[in-house]
Amino acid sequence: MATIEELQARITRLEDIKQVEKLQRMYGYYLDYYEYQKVVDLFSDHAESVEIADYGVYKDKQGVKRFYLELLGGMPPRVGELSIGMVMQGVVDVDPNGKTAKGRWYCMMIEAKPTLSLHEGELRQLWGNGIYENEYVKENGKWMFKKVFFFLNFRTPYEDGWLKVPVVGQNGPSAEVPPDVPSTFYHPCPSGIHLQPHYKHPITGK
Amino acid sequence: MNLEELEKQVTLLEDIQAIENLQRMYAYYFDSYQWQNVVDLFSDRAESAEIESHGVFQGKEGIRRFYWEDIGRQGQLYPAWMRLLIIQIGGVVDVDPNGRTAKGRWQTWLPEVMPSAAGPRQVWLHGYYENEYVKEDGKWLFKKIYWNVTFYTTYETGWMKFPMLGIFLFKDADAPPTAFHPYPSGYHVPYHYKHPVTGE
Repeated sequence: MATIEELQARITRLEDIKQVEKLQRMYGYYLDYYEYQKVVDLFSDHAESVEIADYGVYKDKQGVKRFYLELLGGMPPRVGELSIGMVMQGVVDVDPNGKTAKGRWYCMMIEAKPTLSLHEGELRQLWGNGIYENEYVKENGKWMFKKVFFFLNFRTPYEDGWLKVPVVGQNGPSAEVPPDVPSTFYHPCPSGIHLQPHYKHPITGK
Repeated sequence: MNLEELEKQVTLLEDIQAIENLQRMYAYYFDSYQWQNVVDLFSDRAESAEIESHGVFQGKEGIRRFYWEDIGRQGQLYPAWMRLLIIQIGGVVDVDPNGRTAKGRWQTWLPEVMPSAAGPRQVWLHGYYENEYVKEDGKWLFKKIYWNVTFYTTYETGWMKFPMLGIFLFKDADAPPTAFHPYPSGYHVPYHYKHPVTGE
């Protein structure tokens, strides 16, 4: 029979997972509505980085602000722009210290965005898909993002589909708000390269 | 920490899990046309149901009328080719401090085959929920279902070219839709929750 302290530790772990799941889903909802300040406020002041597809790596909280507020926020959505990110299928693991965690998620995107290059050109309706491997940190009892990493699988015009046109246009690197370093792992379809998960196999431990 | 406090924490976790299951079961019953099972997920004191552009249906009686008589056509069989797949995604569920009511935001993405004048038609839908739940006799039930549709488009055209197939207001609705502003209006469905870090 577990002691109250042991039970408390197990319950806290379950609560932590729930909080991280909520955080990740709220991130998705805020992004859908271009609410970048709210997104930035989901990151710890000691955040490590954000790296989305081919935008490159933006380091530290300062970089997080530059990425969301200056780069993305600097391009207000056009009339008719649509940005839906469906964040699904989380595998969230809280580290034994209870203060940090990692999570893998799918994101399926339904969009209407300019795609020519670096956000120029006419709006097109798009399907997108990618995988998050994110890190989280608990500070003052609240879970926040430590790191966001998004691996793009495809972003294709609705009329073409992912086989014919795996990636349309280019997002970065931006000349106006340059990343701190180029993308570290940008390999969309049909590269055949897979993003490794943060977790070990739950049965074999490998 | 004592046992009573632990029990409160465990109850909260169980409540969230039960609500998530409720929301997902709603979709599974809906997609297999089990209308009575859908209606039975609502409290007898339920407030309302409003989805798509069908209008607001108030009270348990309105909810029964909506799912059983209107959508369910009083149990009349749908053609076999007709299909609704309701994918429930991204639940943010918050149980109120009283432990008896809760709110949840979700989004849903639906591939469907629906009837049209020209015959079966493949469609895509998307929308956001802001739902309310109530716990009665230890069981979580719907108090209110509210689904705000983003688009309802055909497979051949896509959401940008043809965001809405039409307005499908049911004649026996108690009120018209409360915020029918599909794409490309840019309408934002308000969140029930405060920002988890800033509290704003």
